Amino acid sequence: MAKKWKFGTTARHIGASLLLASVALGAPYASAQTRGGSITVAQSSNPPSLDAMVTSSQASRNITMNIYETLYGFDDKIQPAPILAESVEVSADGLSYAFKLRQGVKFHNGKEMTSADVKASLDRYKKVGATQTMLEPVTEIEATGPYEVTLKLKSKAPTFLEAFASPRAPAVIIPAEEASKPANEISFIGTGPFKFVEYVPDSHVKLERFEDYSANEAFQSMDGFGGKKTAYLDTVTFRVIPEPGAAVAALESGEVQLLEQIPVPTARRLSSNDDIKIYENMPWAVLTFIFNMKEAPGNNLKFREAVQAALNNEEVMAIATEGLFQLYHGWMYEGSTYDAGDVGAQSYNVADPEKAKALLKEANYNNEPFSILTDSTIPEHGKAAVVIAEQLKAVGINAVINQTDWPTALKIRLQDTGWNGWTLMMGIEPYLGPAALVSTLTGAAPHFRANDPELDKLYQELISTDSVEGRKAVFAKIQERLYQFVGIIKLGETGLMQASRANVQGFKPFRFPRMYDVWLEGQ
Amino acid sequence: MAADVDLAETNDLRRAMARSAWRSRYTFLKRLLSHRSFLIGAVLFLFIVLVAVLADLIAPYDPNKNDYRNLLAPPSALHWFGTDGFGRDILSRVMHGTRISLGIGLSVVVMTGLLGVLLGTLAGYVRWLDNILMRIMDGLMAFPGVLLAIALSAALGPSILNAVIALTVTFTPRTARVVRASVLVIRELPYVEAAVAIGAGNLRIIFRYILANALSPLIVQLTFVFAVSILAEAILSFLGVGPRPPAPSLGNIIAEGRNYLQDASWIALFPGMAIACAVLGLNLMGDGLRDVIDPRLSKVRDAG
Repeated sequence: MAKKWKFGTTARHIGASLLLASVALGAPYASAQTRGGSITVAQSSNPPSLDAMVTSSQASRNITMNIYETLYGFDDKIQPAPILAESVEVSADGLSYAFKLRQGVKFHNGKEMTSADVKASLDRYKKVGATQTMLEPVTEIEATGPYEVTLKLKSKAPTFLEAFASPRAPAVIIPAEEASKPANEISFIGTGPFKFVEYVPDSHVKLERFEDYSANEAFQSMDGFGGKKTAYLDTVTFRVIPEPGAAVAALESGEVQLLEQIPVPTARRLSSNDDIKIYENMPWAVLTFIFNMKEAPGNNLKFREAVQAALNNEEVMAIATEGLFQLYHGWMYEGSTYDAGDVGAQSYNVADPEKAKALLKEANYNNEPFSILTDSTIPEHGKAAVVIAEQLKAVGINAVINQTDWPTALKIRLQDTGWNGWTLMMGIEPYLGPAALVSTLTGAAPHFRANDPELDKLYQELISTDSVEGRKAVFAKIQERLYQFVGIIKLGETGLMQASRANVQGFKPFRFPRMYDVWLEGQ
Repeated sequence: MAADVDLAETNDLRRAMARSAWRSRYTFLKRLLSHRSFLIGAVLFLFIVLVAVLADLIAPYDPNKNDYRNLLAPPSALHWFGTDGFGRDILSRVMHGTRISLGIGLSVVVMTGLLGVLLGTLAGYVRWLDNILMRIMDGLMAFPGVLLAIALSAALGPSILNAVIALTVTFTPRTARVVRASVLVIRELPYVEAAVAIGAGNLRIIFRYILANALSPLIVQLTFVFAVSILAEAILSFLGVGPRPPAPSLGNIIAEGRNYLQDASWIALFPGMAIACAVLGLNLMGDGLRDVIDPRLSKVRDAG
């Protein structure tokens, strides 16, 4: 059972306006879709690269997923669904995946996509892709026909298709002649509904509608990363505005039509503004607290249990997310395929100081400093650390905060010493599914430094189990194990507030701003 | 007999000297207090000091107590200055913040004063040291003040002690220069020559005759250092190299309020006002002190 909190108590009024916004969205578009017009989207940072496969940055994904497409991608139910592929045939032994390609798909340069382009793109991904483990089981990529590509796997990998569909650093298909170029040196040519026009760093990326876009007629409408996409807008410009205040001002003045992210208090203030629509993208990420299990006192299970018992997750989440959160103990989002139900619920959001103190006594805790590593770059991290520190101090833990900038924190947490706890927001892993999540907690460098042999075993079981049902059962065991050895604590789920001008129609919050199927009213 | 008379005369003289010293101190105070800007500055500054000293008694809440049911509450009867993104009472945080800021300011003044006097006197009194010391000071002063402080605290790591060290290193050269300038002038004065003539030792000459008379410009300089270090502390905290959160230093509070300028302006406004009060108070006091200590300057200014 999930306890849901959309906004804190101070902002109940916003619920009503959100409802209005979603009613407006859900209505069977009273105004017909109209072609034409231009939209400017504001985001806070430069895309590190527009070569989609070499980066896993959200700032890049926001833009590139409008330009490029993959063979398979997640649909709205987070299941792999064909995008540039028509279907996939898996051999009985699970060692061969034959992808049938859609025919007549055009690249932005006018050329038709064939198996040669797909093979070249995937070969390139093996060399420069940002999440190369995705293609690690693949030994051979073969064009087995003009519109068929076959991947040969070295061993059975039941979760291969899920991993292959991951949008983290997507395995996009680009023309073969581009695929021979090194990372970041390609011309940005894809098959998506928008094509690249120009990139002026620190200013903007401009896209325009691709007139020859071949929509996937197998679908009725857009669906997750795929589906039937229709571009209505003439151009889409992604502008880089680092200061949230400036971005909000640009939206209010009408200079910008869509904000990829807007501070929650600002969303509250703008909810009464008729010129602006507010969107709640929930759940967007999971906020976690991670122990360093190689250093005292975090190396002691009883101590970790004490911290888990001491935490008031509701307070941490309310403050860290400015009221935009929901509490759920499950490591997979509630209602998603792998949601493990009640497992672990009794250990979540305990907030029992007496129990914590008793556990501390059992742990023989002798007031060693407990240094919480955090950063000021991502506000949720720093705020959660402050609240956690206060709660731990209240049960007698000598908690201190070590606040650095994000790159420094990322460096420190890779050490076995020098930190005891770490606040981390996991954006895409919980969305991608169990394998993506657990892979960060096992292997050579698990987040909590010391391996848990039991969890490592369960992970191997997870990725070698054939059926979804079987994997569900394994994941339930994993969730139970996570609550038993307490190397990482799930604090709660947070959302993303987005906003647009009122005349922007058809926008549906997703893992990236989908600028297709969006049109301007009265254009 | 003769000896008795001598003694009596000496005693009289001593008493007269003491009286005149008291009188001059009294007139000095009277002149200070009748100086309007000094008085306004002193009242402002004393108010801040009082708040800082009594913060534990008069602050309505624990400055680090989070209250997630009261996030970003605007100023009200319950929270006069409103609350921040953690639900913490801004009034209480500002009160405790003035304590941290004044504490840092005072520590910097004391350390800068001691180091500045030591280095300035050495440079001014010991000829061969002058060039060496002052070139080092010039080197330090070649960096813009706040930039040097930021670089130092970034290198040392964020903490109150490191902020004090960084600011002391930054402001000591300026103080040393002021002291050295005074020492250079005074050491050539006839009464110092007289002291040398009667065989007074170096230490006696320095403390009794030179430093005693070099103090006035130093005091004025130190009020300035005090004000600037309060400002610099706020800058350091704002940039995240000051005291670690959740310490309620004024700069930290403003830094937290930066993201809410449009939606919860009270978070940054009130600590900003506290800094303004403290700095304005100190500067007015400094101006007043300078006018009273050095009447020539005020006359020049009045004439102009």
